[in-house]
Amino acid sequence: MISTTVGSYPKVAERAYSTKLIGAISRWQRKELNDAQLEEAFRDVTRAVIREQEDAGVDLLTDGQIRWEDLVTPIAKRLDGFEINGLTRWFNNNTYYRRPVLTGAPRFRGPILAADYRFAQSCAKRPVKAVLPGPYTFAVVSEDKHFKQLRPFVLAMAEILNQEAAALVAAGAPVVQFDEPAIGFGLPGRQAGKTDIKLAVAALNIATQGLSATTAVYTYFGALNGALAPLMKANVDVLGIDLVSEPKTLAALKQTKITKALAVGCLDARNTKLETVKELHAVFKAVSKLVPADRLTVNPNCGLEFLPHPQALAKVKRLAEAVRTFNG
Amino acid sequence: MLLTTSVGSLPKPDYLMTARAQARKGQIDAKQLRALEEQATREWIQKQEELGIDIIVDGEQYRGDMVAYFSEHFGGFKQSELVRSYGNRYYRKPIIVGKVTRPKPVTVEWWKFAQALTTRPVKGMLTGPYTIMDWSFNEYYPSRRAATLAIAEAVRQEARDLEKAGAQYIQVDEPAVSTRPEEMDLAIEALGIVTKGLKAKTLTHICYGDFKTIGPKLHRLPVDQIDLEFANRDMELLQFFKGRKFPKEIGLGVVDVHSHRIESRDQAIANLRMALKVFRPEQIYVDPDCGLKTRSPEEAVNKLRICVEAAEVVRKELLNGSSNKRKVRVG
Repeated sequence: MISTTVGSYPKVAERAYSTKLIGAISRWQRKELNDAQLEEAFRDVTRAVIREQEDAGVDLLTDGQIRWEDLVTPIAKRLDGFEINGLTRWFNNNTYYRRPVLTGAPRFRGPILAADYRFAQSCAKRPVKAVLPGPYTFAVVSEDKHFKQLRPFVLAMAEILNQEAAALVAAGAPVVQFDEPAIGFGLPGRQAGKTDIKLAVAALNIATQGLSATTAVYTYFGALNGALAPLMKANVDVLGIDLVSEPKTLAALKQTKITKALAVGCLDARNTKLETVKELHAVFKAVSKLVPADRLTVNPNCGLEFLPHPQALAKVKRLAEAVRTFNG
Repeated sequence: MLLTTSVGSLPKPDYLMTARAQARKGQIDAKQLRALEEQATREWIQKQEELGIDIIVDGEQYRGDMVAYFSEHFGGFKQSELVRSYGNRYYRKPIIVGKVTRPKPVTVEWWKFAQALTTRPVKGMLTGPYTIMDWSFNEYYPSRRAATLAIAEAVRQEARDLEKAGAQYIQVDEPAVSTRPEEMDLAIEALGIVTKGLKAKTLTHICYGDFKTIGPKLHRLPVDQIDLEFANRDMELLQFFKGRKFPKEIGLGVVDVHSHRIESRDQAIANLRMALKVFRPEQIYVDPDCGLKTRSPEEAVNKLRICVEAAEVVRKELLNGSSNKRKVRVG
């Protein structure tokens, strides 16, 4: 069993790697810093969050998405066909993202994150995974003025994200993860359970096509209800499930034929309360009855940026500690 | 009929923004800051009187974030380090670490200060228990429900004290209600704890959000008046109320607070006339969509002025219209 983080990590830390990124971004916006100077600020924080994960003992790292405004903007702003619109609530969190608006045919212009990936891996002693938004979530959280129907939009995003994923694999990523919160949550601002899971799986199959790396899909923020069985048939190696937002998913898993490696979200990355090692061991024990330990990853239920830095770090340390003592 | 009101927050003048930054850096003391907050409050009361707003607010010149303000004064909360809200914007999200209590009144002194400056009613302004819970971390209570109900008790004490001090209107804002429709029943229960037994008129303001799912439960919110944003979605929210006999008063936003553009008086009048096809005139209170603190002071004044002028014009139309009808009937 190994530990990983899901994606985002706090960009500022008042008592660790400082809050200087806030000032750097404002100065860059006012053109008082050039691109290279801003990049240096991003790199400093990226180095720090990679070191924190390594020092804590996390096995599979992320770059903390320090440059990312949200899950979709970094990609949308570098594709043809998109404009970036105003703020919209990010699922049921009290945080906001900028809604991409598709106004023309979406098109991949060339690798987006490969250089960032290479930098992150160059400062890490342990493997760093690449994280992308999933095609279904990408389309669902965007406004579509071009296709005006979900299916062609989702499938077009799947093709584009497949090209981006291939570039990340070429840059050396051993694992490519697609984040699909919309699968579990339903559409933002609407009731859960309205997911077109067939479409989401078809899109995943396209997004992961031909990738010579481990592929993962992470669902979080919601219940998987009818989605578990179709996801087991998707062309993806690892299925990420969020047992914090919906503890009942554990019971549903017991009723499902599990054909994938599992990545289990078992710490609440949206609340500061720190889980005990004992609580975590109970979850580890329950899931290791369902899948052999060598096919198990454990992680916070979602990105850590919803937490202030001290609590995010405490959770990462607790996770690694629990894995160490569980593996024995 | 068609009384006008301000929703809650009003922009802080430049001198107060500067003073707040200086106070954070320890360059001025609490007493100096307080004097400027009082000055800004006096100015806003006077401005609202000049504009002719019927039911006014103190403008919350002494508050920052609507949840952080109460969490700083209630017991059981601890302030956190920075959390990102969006883009390059960060805030401190309160953490519930113990039993939530209200050691002493929070807003009552400010309410008294404001009310002493005017003969018009000043609304008591509170943040609702569901919103305080949803916008805080919870390390103490076993569930979101337990946390919400505990906060409701603290807010109830505050509402009682505002009423005792003489507040005729008590507004308990619940902007978070529309984001998790599945918890609407909890929000209703908690608000009921706050408003139970109050003789003052009670109101709540809710932001737009997922209206289709919360709409059908709106009439169960235990308040006399519900204040909603109508203008920023071109009044399409009226469609929901069409054909329903909505049993409560309605706070009707006729100008958008998220836009720098000042609506024309004619636009606000048109909005109001549209609303009169759905609501009875005595049911409607005319106001901006939401608090105006994100606008400049000048924009805020202009938007409030449009509300007052539109209400006056339509009020006159209604009075003339009804007297004409009477004449017809008599004749």
